[in-house]
Amino acid sequence: MSADEQEQEPVLAADDIVAGYVPGVDVLRGCSIEVRPGEVVGVIGPNGAGKSTLVKAVFGLLRVRGGTVHLRGEEVTNRPAHELVRRGVGYVPQLQNVFPALTVEENLRMGVYLRPKAYARRATAVEELFPLLADRRGQKAGAMSGGERQMLAMARALMMEPQLLLLDEPSAGLSPLHQDHVFDRCRMINSAGVAVLMVEQNARRCLQICDRGYVLDQGRNAHTGTGTALLHDEKVIELYLGTLARVR
Amino acid sequence: MRPQRKFVLALALVLVSVPALSARAQGEAVPRGPTFGARALQALIDGIQFGVIIAITSVGLSLIFGTIHLINFAHGEFVTIGATFAFYLNAAAAGPGWHLIPAAVAAVAFGALLGGAVERGLWRPLRARGTGLINMFIVTIGLSLLLRHLVLVLYGTRPASFAQYDIQSTIGLGPASITPRDLTVTLLAVLVLLGIAMLLQKTRIGTAVRAVSANRDLAEATGIDVQRVVLFVWMLGGGLAALGGVFFGLVEIVTWDMGFKLLLLMFAGVILGGLGSAYGAMAGSLVIGVVAQMSTLWFPVDLQYAWALLVLIVVLLVRPQGILGQAERVG
Repeated sequence: MSADEQEQEPVLAADDIVAGYVPGVDVLRGCSIEVRPGEVVGVIGPNGAGKSTLVKAVFGLLRVRGGTVHLRGEEVTNRPAHELVRRGVGYVPQLQNVFPALTVEENLRMGVYLRPKAYARRATAVEELFPLLADRRGQKAGAMSGGERQMLAMARALMMEPQLLLLDEPSAGLSPLHQDHVFDRCRMINSAGVAVLMVEQNARRCLQICDRGYVLDQGRNAHTGTGTALLHDEKVIELYLGTLARVR
Repeated sequence: MRPQRKFVLALALVLVSVPALSARAQGEAVPRGPTFGARALQALIDGIQFGVIIAITSVGLSLIFGTIHLINFAHGEFVTIGATFAFYLNAAAAGPGWHLIPAAVAAVAFGALLGGAVERGLWRPLRARGTGLINMFIVTIGLSLLLRHLVLVLYGTRPASFAQYDIQSTIGLGPASITPRDLTVTLLAVLVLLGIAMLLQKTRIGTAVRAVSANRDLAEATGIDVQRVVLFVWMLGGGLAALGGVFFGLVEIVTWDMGFKLLLLMFAGVILGGLGSAYGAMAGSLVIGVVAQMSTLWFPVDLQYAWALLVLIVVLLVRPQGILGQAERVG
């Protein structure tokens, strides 16, 4: 990331977010994050810290009870998700991230639902990134393996040429080989100019590829810093990465 | 052999042997007239006709369940309103006296608008307030009662027929026969069902309907305006229910509670085919219609709906997810 990019207005700024699933019970209790153009930002933390909840609240899938979300300076708090897609945000959920009854091609077509004429051009572009999909256009997504589904889900989210990609635990449930593949693709997507906000359970691997990272604990920001700094931070190692991280 | 299959086989044997046994027990000669084969063919034709009409009405019910998981108890009233609205335009003394074809088109449009109106005015606000599905199901029962009795007040209790295509001579189909009206209704219904299949399979909005049915949140996250898709489904369901009402009123008769009487068969078709699947609703409804009519070969007509529902139970014992439903992993 260049110095110019650091100066630029954030693509995404979420300030003091309060949100939860059950009335009266807040999972996020004043959490803030920022993603600048061209950055890969990682969000890590223990189970129940509110990582996935944060992404859902930012993306309009969960009602924000307090705080604000700004996209390139414009407030989008509690705007519906399809509107954020129109404004250049892509989202890949952790689970159930493809339409199983639809073919690969239909899944990709749904990715450009708002811009159907762009299908041919965008399908070619994402198939260059995920060549496997070109051979599977007619296959039902439900018949694909977990790793292949993750590829399809990322491809679908990229169909609208987003400026910001939100990834909710992209390596969850994948073999180490597929995890490497997913992280490699994240870097490739980022190198094409797409800012990435990634929530990850695999904290060490996530911080290795992130420009900056946030550590959440009990719905609040616990630590913030560059990916490298967090990887070597004693407190973060002690609490979230495990002491084996020191050895590595 | 699995116990369920043994039960189905035993049931089939009983059904085949009942007419002969009952005639012999009563010491009667087998009555002259159409042979069993001819009566079976006639029942099959009638069953297909009945089945495709149920299918037209139940597709909307299934799509609504698929997209918002609501069991719409008021769907039968959409059928009645379609038929009675067409009757008003076509044959009512106070109506404009339109020919049935434009009256039917207007009824379909009215059904679609009614479907859209209840979605925008009732279901969407209830969903926005986070109303639970059970509560919404109870609301559909209330809406059903309200609409049914509104029709009762406006239409009355007297059964009536449309002004055209009332009495016709039959066309021979081998040993069976059918009126040109019934044949046209059946063919039109099949064409409409094929059109719905094409819409769902080949168009952008149809694929979006399937996407929303598969995963509502993911569809929203993909950029699909889910509320707009749900509105489309309600309008499609309302229009199809109205069309089914006109068809049913044509081949049978228009009454104030005709839709309510069909509702159980619609549910049976939807569940038999696989909840939430439009193609399942079509297949299930066809099975229900054919079984209901074929049962009259052996049993009193009054029991025909009961046999159709028995088949539902038997099929679900063997295949709990329905004919075209997909088994889901639990846990």
